[in-house]
Amino acid sequence: MIVAHYLVLSAALFAIGAFGVLARRNLLIILMSVEVMLNGVNVALLAFARLYASTSGHVFVLMVMGVAAAEVSVGLAILIAVFRNRKTVDTGDLKSLQG
Amino acid sequence: MGSIDPVFALAAAITVGAGLLVVTQRNPIYSAISMLACFLGLAVIYLRLEAPFLAAIHVLVYTGAILVLFLFVIMLLNLKPDELGTEYPLKIRGLIGAMCAGLFALLALPLWQDQRVFPKDLPLASSEKGAFGSVERVGYALFNDYALPFELISVLIMVAVFGGVLLAKKKL
Repeated sequence: MIVAHYLVLSAALFAIGAFGVLARRNLLIILMSVEVMLNGVNVALLAFARLYASTSGHVFVLMVMGVAAAEVSVGLAILIAVFRNRKTVDTGDLKSLQG
Repeated sequence: MGSIDPVFALAAAITVGAGLLVVTQRNPIYSAISMLACFLGLAVIYLRLEAPFLAAIHVLVYTGAILVLFLFVIMLLNLKPDELGTEYPLKIRGLIGAMCAGLFALLALPLWQDQRVFPKDLPLASSEKGAFGSVERVGYALFNDYALPFELISVLIMVAVFGGVLLAKKKL
């Protein structure tokens, strides 16, 4: 049971999520990638909570889950509003704010 | 390096493999199903980290609520193959992939040097009841030391619910 294994898994999930956010243009998949990134952080928090035998890490993970739930509900509502008005989920087509 | 925990290795392989599928699938439905496998693998990893309560909450919140919300929205939008949008050209995606691999290497190489091992037994303070990571311990911390953040999270979620309804409604 080595801490490094869990931390490397956490880094891998974060990097995968970052790739999804940067390289994809489908809004749905960008939101899912953000979830993967948040879960990578949760793994690191729980590994350190286990290492230092501290319950605070568990509370932090609960907070991250609460924020993730709020973020997804608002993000998906924005996505529905965008799709209703513009008939697209492609971020490349959403450039009305571009000068 | 010590030997790798086989349960962890299997769960981590499933999690990372499914995570890669989430970000590479073209159809959001396949991404959502891959996300299910990714989250179930993560729940096993939480159990290995002595966090049974959080593993249960993770399955409830992520696969029970967030994933179902994603599936609802995917089916509500009912995207045709030509409505999925165009992705960046392969060259740009490869460049971003290389950047993210570099990010991973930057994070993982120092972490891999970490030689610390998880303590075998978890000491219990006399004031605390229940095993480490149990409902008693997490609940005790949540309602004593972190009572204010807990209340603020409930406000945040309520605002998010109102905001979600407001944004997604056709006419106010």
